Amino acid sequence: MSRALLRSVLELRTPVTRLPPTFLLPIRARFFNQTSQIVEPTSTPESIVNAVQQSQQTSATSLPSSLTPPQQETNPLSPASLDPSITTLLPLLAAQPSHYITVHIHGRPYLVTAGDQLRLPFKMPGVVPGDILRLNRATTLGSRDFTLKGAPYVDERLFECRAVVLGTEAEPMRVMVKKKRRCRRKKSVFSKHKYTVLRISEVKVARVGEMEV
Amino acid sequence: MSYFRITLHRSAIGLPERTRGALASLGLRRRSQTVFHPVHPQFAGMIMKVKELVRVEEVDRPLSKKEVKAERQPDAGFYVEKAAEGGRVGL
Repeated sequence: MSRALLRSVLELRTPVTRLPPTFLLPIRARFFNQTSQIVEPTSTPESIVNAVQQSQQTSATSLPSSLTPPQQETNPLSPASLDPSITTLLPLLAAQPSHYITVHIHGRPYLVTAGDQLRLPFKMPGVVPGDILRLNRATTLGSRDFTLKGAPYVDERLFECRAVVLGTEAEPMRVMVKKKRRCRRKKSVFSKHKYTVLRISEVKVARVGEMEV
Repeated sequence: MSYFRITLHRSAIGLPERTRGALASLGLRRRSQTVFHPVHPQFAGMIMKVKELVRVEEVDRPLSKKEVKAERQPDAGFYVEKAAEGGRVGL
């Protein structure tokens, strides 16, 4: 009886000594690390609808042109041209670490964060390992408590997202057996596709002051 | 000069020969094919004949086939910011 009591006392004591002080525990640390404690804690994360309409590009953006950077825009982004909710809430989004982003490559969405390895479902022509791609179409950009939603796309001056081409990956050989009924003849068709692998090297939210540059 | 932008929306299968003839003279062979014709009573009459099958818009200039395709295609969403050192050998 006394031994069991002693053991339970030891079990109680050891985790307490190993753990950091209570104000540094993750559940406590959240309260002073996050910036949005002003809002109701029960409310869902705020979403800011990006009111800046992306003008639909009427010119053809074929693949060779995608390999070259687009023309620099002549008019710089002034905070006045942005929706006021963006200028007020974007610093809060930028202040929180570890952002996620939904980038669109050839119209398909990929929800990624920095450091992710992304295997595209196709082999990207015209790139070699080591190339740095700038991803400039995104529909959502968010952190733990804030989400910036695009309409339909987030303004590309509000973020910087870069990816490094790691190389290509090949799937296992596929074998499809072609066979007609009542006929012994069989034909095997082989295919093996290659996929480009990217690593998301950077996801950065722009600061409102810096966007004027 | 303005143009009709005519897109075949519904198939002409099972329709009378004269209706299919109107589509053929407009140059529409398959669904979601788009053709451009100048605004002229002759083409307006043909469109009226097949008005249940097509969607018509009035545009300023006819687009080429390439431009029509580019409208449908999504943006690439990326560009090569910095090429790898060592050139484009490993393509």
